[in-house]
Amino acid sequence: MTSPSDDELLAAIARLDRPPADLDERVLFAIELDHIDAEVARLAGPAYAGSGARAAERTRTITFEASRRTVMITVVDRADDLVRIDGWLAPGAPLEVELRLPAASRTVVADGAGRFVFDEVPHGLAQLLVHASDGRVVTPSLVL
Amino acid sequence: MSADVHLGDLLERARDGDRESLRELVHELNPVLWRVARGQGLSAEDAADVVQTTWLELLRRLHEIRSPRAVTAWLITATRRESWHRQQRGRRDRPDSDGVLEAAVDPGPPPEQRLLTDERDEVLWRHFARLSDRCRELLSIVAEVHRPDYAAIASSLGMPHGSIGPTRGRCLAKLREMLLADSSWGGAS
Repeated sequence: MTSPSDDELLAAIARLDRPPADLDERVLFAIELDHIDAEVARLAGPAYAGSGARAAERTRTITFEASRRTVMITVVDRADDLVRIDGWLAPGAPLEVELRLPAASRTVVADGAGRFVFDEVPHGLAQLLVHASDGRVVTPSLVL
Repeated sequence: MSADVHLGDLLERARDGDRESLRELVHELNPVLWRVARGQGLSAEDAADVVQTTWLELLRRLHEIRSPRAVTAWLITATRRESWHRQQRGRRDRPDSDGVLEAAVDPGPPPEQRLLTDERDEVLWRHFARLSDRCRELLSIVAEVHRPDYAAIASSLGMPHGSIGPTRGRCLAKLREMLLADSSWGGAS
């Protein structure tokens, strides 16, 4: 066995642990936004928004935290291969919530307690935007 | 053209609204940022999330970046910071006794086993994981960046510029030594 050169070792290291195949796509979708001034909400707790790893779970709860607002969503699989998103904003306020999807955007207004619902949403990439008078909040993209 | 000049040009064009340059920038730098996040001990899912968050932050601050050529360093630094915060949040949410000590020596999560189809890749991973944090982080980055800009890497890792080359050499020598001492590495050739 001959001794591997530096270049050979580095090439072998580069082969280990490649990024997920959809990472570029997820990033590009997330940054396609028009509102790049929005505050980025961080995922709190374990990431369940994955691309398939947790696909067996029928319901996933995901929480995003921004400085002045928390967005929690529960993604429920429907029998017809679509999903429903039940969401809450804390503190509760009747704000506009936008669901960005690759094909189009949908917008709803949360009720006074901060609850909102998007129903019949297709699986795939999605991103949430909350429009508030004190600034917008955007989440990273998630895979529904 | 060196990598940093090329990436700096892409950033300037992205700043002027050129989406294609932004796509290329993402494509070029995503593997590095992924490795940086993984090197901080994040799971694949958390690392993917941190990489996205980092890009969203870059977009927000696109006009604040004074030196476009420093975009690689900016992104690596931001990814490390996001990874650290992500880990703090993860630790907070986990039941305790999960071992801070254990985390301190955790070489980071292994790649999915099924991806290591080559037996020698498995041997390499095992030894790579035993290198120091600094070695793993530095080698991961230089393995991904072609024509690396050592000044940028040095500043983002908080290392003196002149020490990158020697450290890289020392880390590779250490890895080589471990591999050559392992009969399963030589035997599989």
